[in-house]
Amino acid sequence: MIFFSRINRKSTPAAVKKVVFDEMAISSRVEELASEISRDYQGKDPIVAGILQGALVFTRDLVKNLSFPVLPDFIRISRYGRQSRTGEVKIVKDLREDIQGRHVLLIEDIVDTGLTLNYLVRILLERHPASLAICTLLDRTELRLAEVPIKYVGFNVNDEFLIGYGLDYREYYRDLPFVATMNLEVVEPQTADGRPKTADRLTT
Amino acid sequence: MGIQSSSRSISSFAHESEEELAGFLDFYSIEWRYEPVSFPLNWDEQGRVIEAFTPDFYLPQFDLYVELTTMKQKLVTRKNRKIRRMRELYPDTRIKVLYGRDYRELLFKFGVIE
Repeated sequence: MIFFSRINRKSTPAAVKKVVFDEMAISSRVEELASEISRDYQGKDPIVAGILQGALVFTRDLVKNLSFPVLPDFIRISRYGRQSRTGEVKIVKDLREDIQGRHVLLIEDIVDTGLTLNYLVRILLERHPASLAICTLLDRTELRLAEVPIKYVGFNVNDEFLIGYGLDYREYYRDLPFVATMNLEVVEPQTADGRPKTADRLTT
Repeated sequence: MGIQSSSRSISSFAHESEEELAGFLDFYSIEWRYEPVSFPLNWDEQGRVIEAFTPDFYLPQFDLYVELTTMKQKLVTRKNRKIRRMRELYPDTRIKVLYGRDYRELLFKFGVIE
């Protein structure tokens, strides 16, 4: 598995409006969550599964801090968007492991409407895991439509568009080491490939 | 009021944002009804309904009504008053209000709008 490489930015991107959670705050909270999860899952040999792409960074850091060894698994589903408005959600990268009878902890970067997780929970419960719980770095309840079984929350956030630490705007800014609100006014018209002209590219 | 469900082709939406939300719900295989019911809010002395509120969507799976507000502040204020009244009269009915800014950010996130 290729994780995002950390890059040393010479300056903060113009798209960053305000840092909401800096590296230290995130690191500290991730350690707390890992401690809680380690206690709850000790001896249960859970499958820890990050939801791509957003939860990749969070999953990496969380797993590093667990008290038991675990190789993270990943799952990815198609995303609603301009190109897929008439389609339907589907799994585009499935888990490696059979989860039947296993304890599963899904890792998400942010939960807003809950529709993505609701879909995943429905699909995964059909595979009869011993248990299924969710850990999210950020919880934004203002937009919640579907209730989902979130057991661990890093931070509660309100109605701001966030980037960094895995969260993107059209695949940009995931590599920022902090979570920040996005200055939507800096987004310029798109290039031919649909990406904003001014955005910094993700480095992998 | 007729019930229309989970098919944009048979629905006539009052606003483009409603059609967009219907598409969003369809994508995630969430069943929906468009304006399936009106909730009486006020009655005259003869008991006739003089004010009602009709949420945009009902999601049976979550037993949740959803109202989109993408209009001007003055109208939002009036709608908020109706929703407060609805919550007073029907406390067991769950309704979620998606305000214009939040909803636009959601569409922005998914690249539907710029």
